[in-house]
Amino acid sequence: MLAGMPAWLAYSLVTILLWGAWGAVFKVASSGVDANTNQIFFTVGLLPLMLVLFPAARHGAVGPQRRAGIAWAFVTGILGGAGNIAFFRALGSGGKVSIVAPATALFPIVTVMLAVTFLRERISKQQIIGFALALVAIYLLSM
Amino acid sequence: MSLMPAWLLFATIALVFWGITGVTQKLSTNRISSQLSCFWWAWAMVAISAGLAFTVPIQWHLRPFILALSILSGVLNGLGALTSFAALESGGKASVVISLISLYPLLTVAIAVLFLHERLTPFQDLGAVMAIVAAILLSIEAPSATASPESQSGR
Repeated sequence: MLAGMPAWLAYSLVTILLWGAWGAVFKVASSGVDANTNQIFFTVGLLPLMLVLFPAARHGAVGPQRRAGIAWAFVTGILGGAGNIAFFRALGSGGKVSIVAPATALFPIVTVMLAVTFLRERISKQQIIGFALALVAIYLLSM
Repeated sequence: MSLMPAWLLFATIALVFWGITGVTQKLSTNRISSQLSCFWWAWAMVAISAGLAFTVPIQWHLRPFILALSILSGVLNGLGALTSFAALESGGKASVVISLISLYPLLTVAIAVLFLHERLTPFQDLGAVMAIVAAILLSIEAPSATASPESQSGR
């Protein structure tokens, strides 16, 4: 990837670019469409990507590892989509966007707790401070 | 639980579900490629959308501009999902990668200021500065940090 930069960091930064642009597009699109409809047309936008990924998806050894990996990926999508629906239900059942958006944006807390507990991940002191700062930043940016 | 307002219950579900996905993404890319992971993540989105299409009212007639933006949002989000799977596949820890990529509202806010002519609140100003510092700190790996095999890309 980018010179001198670990691949995971370069991919993460590209993700920020893509999702940052997605956030802006979503902001405009959501003014003219309800959340359920948006989810459906959003999925239409995934179809070209699925077509591109299809050849890669056909390759690879078949076995329990592949099945487990596919199952975790599918669970990721279901939980992500169900989380989106829950988010919009929260807004639709009396939650103020100024409270619900910043509060739910703190989801990395759950990821870090699970990753440290179940994946036994260790992170540097700088990363722990960065994580704390990120939580405050995400909260402030979502206000 | 019965004393919990419905909106708080739903918000908590969103928080927990989104938080879990960071770990399930890692568990997936530990076993299969980021492309295959993203392909099946997208299939789950198709399943959810199919469920919605049959159970809730949908606005099928949208203005072409809004329709195009909704589809574009899927393209951008899908590509972002692919690169986030790739970040985890290439050795990034779930705890770091998810915390880092969660800073994407920084860019959304920047685009909104530049192109939608929105103004930042003082809180967002502060949040933007903190996000940049947080991103720099999160990118600093501990040279001696070790982790269990499950936390590494084990394909």
